[in-house]
Amino acid sequence: MYKIKLTGLLLTLALTSFAQPRLPKDYYFKKLANGLEVVVIENNKVPLATIEIAVKNGAYTEGPEYSGLSHLFEHMFFKANKDYPDQEKFIQRTEELGAIWNGTTGDERVNYYFTFDKDSLEAGLKFMNAAVRFPIYRNEDMAKERPVVDGEFQRGESDPQNQLWMATGKKIWGDLFTRKNPIGEHNIINTATPEKMMIIKNKYYVPNNSILVICGDVNHDAAFAMAENIYGDWPNSGFDPHQKYPIPEFKPLAAKDYFVKESSIAQTPNLMYIWQGPDFRNDSAATLAADVFSTALGLNSSKWQQALIDKGLATYAFVSYQTAKYVGPIYIYSLPNPLKLKECYEEIAKQVKMWADDDYITDEQLNTAKDILRRSKIRQTEKPSSLPSQLTYWWCSTSYEYGTDYVDNCMKVTKEDIKKYVKKYVLDKNYVAGLIINPEMNKSTGAANFFKPNF
Amino acid sequence: MNSIFSIGRKLFLPALVICFSAIEVNAQKGAAYEMTIEGVKVIVQPSNNEIIEIQTVIKGGVQNYPLDKQGIESLAMSALTECGTANDDKNSFKDKLDKVSASVYGNTGMDFATISMNCIKSDFDVVWPLYADAIAAPKFDEKEFNRIKQDAINSLKSQASQPDYAISKLAKQTAFKGKDYAKNPEGIEGTVSKLTAAETKAYYQSILTRSRLVIVVVGEIDKEDLTKKISRLLSGIAQGSPFKLKKELYTPAKNTFISEKSDLATNYIQGIASGPAPGAPDFNAFNLAMRIFYARHFLEVRSKNGLSYAPATWFDGGASPTANIFVSTTEPNKYIGVAKALIEKIKKEGFTEKELKDIKTSYITSFYYRQETNWAQASSFVTNEVLHDNWKRALTINEDLKNVSLQDLDRAFNQYITNLTWAYRGNPAKVNPQLYTTTKNTRTPLPKSKVSATKNN
Repeated sequence: MYKIKLTGLLLTLALTSFAQPRLPKDYYFKKLANGLEVVVIENNKVPLATIEIAVKNGAYTEGPEYSGLSHLFEHMFFKANKDYPDQEKFIQRTEELGAIWNGTTGDERVNYYFTFDKDSLEAGLKFMNAAVRFPIYRNEDMAKERPVVDGEFQRGESDPQNQLWMATGKKIWGDLFTRKNPIGEHNIINTATPEKMMIIKNKYYVPNNSILVICGDVNHDAAFAMAENIYGDWPNSGFDPHQKYPIPEFKPLAAKDYFVKESSIAQTPNLMYIWQGPDFRNDSAATLAADVFSTALGLNSSKWQQALIDKGLATYAFVSYQTAKYVGPIYIYSLPNPLKLKECYEEIAKQVKMWADDDYITDEQLNTAKDILRRSKIRQTEKPSSLPSQLTYWWCSTSYEYGTDYVDNCMKVTKEDIKKYVKKYVLDKNYVAGLIINPEMNKSTGAANFFKPNF
Repeated sequence: MNSIFSIGRKLFLPALVICFSAIEVNAQKGAAYEMTIEGVKVIVQPSNNEIIEIQTVIKGGVQNYPLDKQGIESLAMSALTECGTANDDKNSFKDKLDKVSASVYGNTGMDFATISMNCIKSDFDVVWPLYADAIAAPKFDEKEFNRIKQDAINSLKSQASQPDYAISKLAKQTAFKGKDYAKNPEGIEGTVSKLTAAETKAYYQSILTRSRLVIVVVGEIDKEDLTKKISRLLSGIAQGSPFKLKKELYTPAKNTFISEKSDLATNYIQGIASGPAPGAPDFNAFNLAMRIFYARHFLEVRSKNGLSYAPATWFDGGASPTANIFVSTTEPNKYIGVAKALIEKIKKEGFTEKELKDIKTSYITSFYYRQETNWAQASSFVTNEVLHDNWKRALTINEDLKNVSLQDLDRAFNQYITNLTWAYRGNPAKVNPQLYTTTKNTRTPLPKSKVSATKNN
């Protein structure tokens, strides 16, 4: 009994401390009794309200038998529910509300958002509630939606950049590629059933795995009251889906892997390199160093830009890192000058090898990169309807505090932090490099012969 | 002084209306106003935020150059910020911008070119001289020019590999063959590769005249300071001869179909029909009709028949206006049956009062959505000023739309959605062109519309 009481006290303390996460000014937090986290962002720039529900679901929760079904589920969200039993009625309701709406499925988040007149907030919350809690999956609706999702897949296949992304992804993530591929697999999409949709719903579409964000010309007390009234009886599932269905860890790549992919639709070559980078769970400090480093390499004055862009070896050469809870990828993506393809490939290797050198980034460049990140915070707050999506990304892949303190913590990144990041995740690691090129250009440049590991 | 006063006075009455709108838009934001500086119209919208967006527009677009020089204006716009200025070489120019995380860039489209700057308010005095130099004193350094020319060719090839871009290009080139709108603003490899730095510089100087310029500012800048800066910028630019953008309707005489084989996983289809010119009395009605048509097309093609992920329709209200229908599908023959039946049904039964009411509501959301960023506001002022000769339309559009009736909608849709110029990329064996061109009844019958005048819930 005593033990139970103590546990209860600790739980209360934990909830109390969690009840007030560190959030930016004018952000208000409340956790409902059923576990649904609600954030209200007061911003009266325009008389609109945006609501977003995000769920910790997406490619990372998908084994091979579910590959692409978080995405199909997201499509079905807009199909039919108890209040709007077919898509025609669903769309009519969005039109009555004058809503701008959409949904996205990523690696670690599925989100749904609606923007409408501020006076439609309660109606909008009810509309979202019907869709997220009471969907209807009919075989005939699924049959119609499968080719639609497959059509999205085929559009990707018709794009050489997407082909290259898929090919490098399969190699870097190996057996767990489905966990980084939201669009999924043809055959899984084409054989999806209402039962599989219900399994996803029951596992992940529960208040204790979801966040509701209400943003715009709203009052937080009134918005919380509406949220409580409409979503308060959404039952807690009684389990944490990520404990019950744990995400397997990605295996390190066994060797460097270079490939040339021929495609008749690639009118000019595209180059991609990918590494398994840091993640929030294991090395959040490195995720910040990664962002500062990528920003520094985007500077015109950087050695990277000067060697590749200024010298005309590539039209662009981006270095990026995608923040993630489960191994964020580090990318180099380049559109090389086809007349200097080999020089571009050689220069990339030469530059990467220098990334951890003391003088690769100057102090001035480091400070400029930080200044850019500081200013980007001002720009990111310009558009109120985009604020919920920014917050839910942090919530799904990191934490409230990570997002709130992001810029302040980026300001603390040192050159040593960057060197440590580069050595740990790039220089000492295997990676995948891919080149997509049309057969004629492959022959004329001899790419297949020279595109081999060179660093 | 007199002329400014006169414009101010003329503005007084509409300004009351605008002022009302502006208060509705954002209680903290000042009302938009216009000035004339050195003969150039300058439109200013105070923004009450930390960001400054300025767009300087050169009117004309594809009307400014012949077909064999297509790409010259686009390359000139890139050169403004990539080939140095009188006071900075390329690296110095770009490094200064990087320092304050500001952007200065030029681009061009079918009807006008835009040289834009975007910066944080506290950096304005650092960025303005760079922006002014890019416009008035670009160097067109030959070495840098050759670099960006090669980049432009690479980008053209990369774009051509993108199926959405490629189908749009094929459709436009087919529909507007022999006319200005057949030109691609980015050019083609054959024309871009021949351009020289000297020729492109001379071209830029020929279009940089005060008679072609409009400047839009969205941001909190002291009016006197802004006037001084713009005045100094414009004082070095020639007046030039008067310029008026030509408007030309597209009216295809019959249905046509063109096909291009491409090894794609699906097939891309775009149809182009006529549309009203900017400023025409039925412009707003047709715009709303096309938005309702989008929803109906989406419902029939995607929701009910599962034929496409990305069905779309839109009204391109440029100087040569067009209505557009787009789809990517593995079943092109089934698609055209559904699309034709839908068009026929709308023509026969018309739209509904409820659809009109709802689309007006949606427009209000879109209107405020645009007000969220300085860039979107500036772009809206530019489009309305260049194409409608009326920047205030960007602020009064919701009021204007109240006057559109259901009869206006039906009349406009019937008038302009007649013959279509179809373009197709993908597997030619999958499509029967005759289904696209025939005027005989090959439609897939659609059920009577469920859309009613009453609310469903």
